[in-house]
Amino acid sequence: MLKLAGILCILAGCIGLGGSKIREERCRVEHLRELIRIIKRIQNEISYGKHTLPEICHILSEYSDVLYQPHFRIIYEQMEQGNGICLAQVWQQEMEQCLKEIPLLKEEKYILINLPRNLGMPEEKQQAESIGQSLDLLMRRCRQAEDAYDNKSRMIFSVSLLAGIFLTILLL
Amino acid sequence: MRQEEVLYMFPESMRSQWECTAKQADKLQEIRLRVNVPAAVLINNREWFLDTEGRLVDMPPHGAQNRPEELEQILKHLCQYSVYAFADEIRQGFLTIQGGHRVGLSGQVILEGDGKVRNLKYIRYLNIRMAHEIKGVSDVILPHLYNKSGQVLNTLLISPPGCGKTTMLRDMIRNLSDGTKYGKGVNVSVVDERSEIAGSYLGVAQNDVGIRTDVLDGCPKREGMMMLIRAMAPQVLAVDELGNEDDIQALRMASGCGCKLIATVHGGSLEEIKHKKYMRNVIEDGLFDRYLVLTKRNGRCEVEGIYDGEGERCLN
Repeated sequence: MLKLAGILCILAGCIGLGGSKIREERCRVEHLRELIRIIKRIQNEISYGKHTLPEICHILSEYSDVLYQPHFRIIYEQMEQGNGICLAQVWQQEMEQCLKEIPLLKEEKYILINLPRNLGMPEEKQQAESIGQSLDLLMRRCRQAEDAYDNKSRMIFSVSLLAGIFLTILLL
Repeated sequence: MRQEEVLYMFPESMRSQWECTAKQADKLQEIRLRVNVPAAVLINNREWFLDTEGRLVDMPPHGAQNRPEELEQILKHLCQYSVYAFADEIRQGFLTIQGGHRVGLSGQVILEGDGKVRNLKYIRYLNIRMAHEIKGVSDVILPHLYNKSGQVLNTLLISPPGCGKTTMLRDMIRNLSDGTKYGKGVNVSVVDERSEIAGSYLGVAQNDVGIRTDVLDGCPKREGMMMLIRAMAPQVLAVDELGNEDDIQALRMASGCGCKLIATVHGGSLEEIKHKKYMRNVIEDGLFDRYLVLTKRNGRCEVEGIYDGEGERCLN
């Protein structure tokens, strides 16, 4: 009876470990999709609304994922105070803070953190296109992550199950 | 104007250089930034230059030059990294920033196929003109802006450039909108083609134009007047710098709709205005009930005279 309980615990542990790895991968894909949504919204607000970046932050503070909302609100509020603070600096600080705990690769985080580097174009179309480069990059990353998730999830599950069986046999 | 307001115009990395100038914020009229030459400021009608330490000197110093990338950085900062949002204004050669200050721009023009200005590139010359709102300048003329039953009279402000025409118009709008002892407050609509009256920044008036005032910012006068009449049902319509027959036609239409008019025009005297082709009929037809002439004496802007619709003096 005790042996059976032990076997089940080992199997559950191994599968759980594999499951957490799979969840992490899925989470990455979801966050990449959210980043794409954010950048697309920025692009649209520039092309069609001709809003300034602080205004766009205000919009995003209401229409983005709850994880990002407070950070966009802070950027908007700081810019609204009119104390001459540099947008690029506040943006960078807040986005770094926001993405700190998010399971994304460094390069993926930098796409959003360094977005102000792509700003300063004199016309909205040009500006939107310039942001489009970041968007393309993120979309490519997202596609790769989705493919990897599909392939990896099955593999991770199988490996974790096999590892559990192997461990059980070893301990028996 | 507060010292911080001057400093906040510049990116953080440049602010230490402007501290000395910011201390003179109240008297500061203009900051001129030109590529490869030292920055010049106009304080109390006197020109100063900035040396490398940010001190104000009266002769152009050596070495203290504005680099092109510095000017681009300033422009980006003034536009909050959203230069595209100001494209229409930049096309006209200026933009209005927080506080209602105007930044004149110059560089290389990009033309469209039909010869129209599409945009500016290589913006290498900035002229930051400080907005100094002077409240109460129109108090002295208020009795002449109303008739006996307290209704606003159609008024035309005539003034040469630099005599406080827009400042006077802005204060008149504020007074008419808020109400005075001569008449109660009325709904005023302003077509602010060049953002000079209300100094709107992102649609919000930076100057006090009164509690019953609606501002249409950056819109050509003719279209703007029609839009406001249709949309905002104003009792008084205010426009700055009438310049052609189209503006006059729109004014006539507004007057026909029952709006009272407050407008300004460039000119030294009522006689001079009569000689302008597009203004002659306006005066002959008696579209305006009051003509207010501004002038500059000994460096001070003052009211030269107020005339009634017939051209008779009401105030000397």
